[in-house]
Amino acid sequence: MSPALTIAKREIATYFLSPVAYVVTVVWLVWCGLQFYLLAGVFASAPNLSASASPLSAFFGGSVLFFIPLLVFAPVLTMRLLAEERHTGTLESLLTAPVTSAHVVIGKYLAALVFWVGLWVPTLMYVWITSQFGRIDMGAVLASYLGVLGIGLYYMAIGLAMSALAKNQIVAALLTFMLLSGLFAVGLLSFVDTFADYRDAIDYLSLWGHMQSFSKGIVDTRFVVFDLTLAGLFLYLAWRALDGRSWS
Amino acid sequence: MIEVRHLTKRYGDRVAVRDLSFDVARGEVVGFLGPNGAGKSTTLRMLTGFLEPSEGEIKIDGIDARKQPVEVKRRIGYMPEAVPLYLEMRVSEYLRYRAELKGVPRREIAKNVDRALALASVADVKSRIIGQLSKGYRQRVGIADALVADPPLLILDEPTAGLDPNQIRQVRDLVRELAREKTVLLSTHILPEVEAICGRVLIIDRGRLVSSGRPEELRTAGAGIATITVEARADGERLVGLLTGLEAVLGVPVLTPIGRDGVVRVRVDVTASELDRVAERIFRAVADAGIDLRELRRADASLEDVFARLTTHDTASEAPPLDAGAEQVAS
Repeated sequence: MSPALTIAKREIATYFLSPVAYVVTVVWLVWCGLQFYLLAGVFASAPNLSASASPLSAFFGGSVLFFIPLLVFAPVLTMRLLAEERHTGTLESLLTAPVTSAHVVIGKYLAALVFWVGLWVPTLMYVWITSQFGRIDMGAVLASYLGVLGIGLYYMAIGLAMSALAKNQIVAALLTFMLLSGLFAVGLLSFVDTFADYRDAIDYLSLWGHMQSFSKGIVDTRFVVFDLTLAGLFLYLAWRALDGRSWS
Repeated sequence: MIEVRHLTKRYGDRVAVRDLSFDVARGEVVGFLGPNGAGKSTTLRMLTGFLEPSEGEIKIDGIDARKQPVEVKRRIGYMPEAVPLYLEMRVSEYLRYRAELKGVPRREIAKNVDRALALASVADVKSRIIGQLSKGYRQRVGIADALVADPPLLILDEPTAGLDPNQIRQVRDLVRELAREKTVLLSTHILPEVEAICGRVLIIDRGRLVSSGRPEELRTAGAGIATITVEARADGERLVGLLTGLEAVLGVPVLTPIGRDGVVRVRVDVTASELDRVAERIFRAVADAGIDLRELRRADASLEDVFARLTTHDTASEAPPLDAGAEQVAS
């Protein structure tokens, strides 16, 4: 088995040894449940709202506020990854095993992604519920999940890079939070008239523009390119930070 | 097994390791000795691929560490100084993970883990959580980790630091046993340890290699100095005066009053080759002066003396203020 998979496996197991994973999961599930309950209520009282809209598309792309908890969860899920190994010294035993820095970065990244994906698995239940009361557009559902995965790709990469750079977990979490909320705030400018001229560019950067497009079933390659570029950039940063540790 | 050439590590302006060259042959047990901060850990971290050298070459088992770091790391079982472990894991769980990470084939993992548990005598705590173990056990889990992939070379950074005397003896016995089939490089600043288990010693100080050789060689090479301790009930000054003039006595003997009924102890540095004769001369001189001798003890310069001479930078006190000369028996 590749060392990256070995590292990922241990990392995932470690998630469940800390209370953080449980707190994040519970808060997230309650948040999602509330959101879906309210949306379902709205659609139930106005059945002719729109032919193309459903509680599902509104769930994934209806409100930018829906993603706010993730701005906190992403740093919390990634802060530990490398900063803790550095802090406790286990980075030394990890990197003196016959592995490369790239194995370590990929392994940690995989673990974070698996947890991210795991967060969304329970939302499949909303897909099932909705399908019991009407036809749903499976293409749009698939695209929505693709959009969510895309966000995870770069959220987790940013968190991992900050964890590689920071001396401790708190700093890593703060840096990640600042970067993610910075990106998020840029997206919000789309609602400000002063920036109307730049709306296209802003929507391209914004989480909301991203998810609105995917939740309608449109897989816009510009967003895919954006996600992958950002993820690649920050993974590279993480790898450099880890490989260049002899500078410190 | 290890070839190091002109190894240098700089941190900005500070040079931690300076132009270090040495070899370790297959099957040797080599002690890496030096005061704290001499550059021992830095050197070991470069050997194990954790730190990149600023300059120089490292070959392990003939393989260039710069070109094939993973192949080199595969041959090394390393225990870092602080023995970093994942405290939330169970001992056997941790060793299984490490075995897998080190590329032990799946079928052999269980076997290797059991063997490492047994060798490091941690089998009795294998299902305990590492964070709940004592320092001594953690240290041995670290050794088990180094052994789990059965590498030909073991690099142990201060393997007995923080252990109690019983545990120290266990670790030494283990290293001696492992030395039968493996090459071992261990660092320490505890001298009896080196005398007890190492076939060869490398002494480094301020990043430089200052001496190397077998412990016996180093001791004899201890500038040809041996020590005689004289204990008697006498006037200290008079006794020192008596001993100072004797042939082959070096410098001024060191006086230590013991306090009980005017008993004093005098430490005399003498030319090593004259040791036996000087002892006889001292006996005669003391007896002739009418002093009753209580004890007359000879000792070769200990490795400790050699070490102190090589690594003490204060030239004024060339002879180290140690009374350990004679008591210094390899334990």
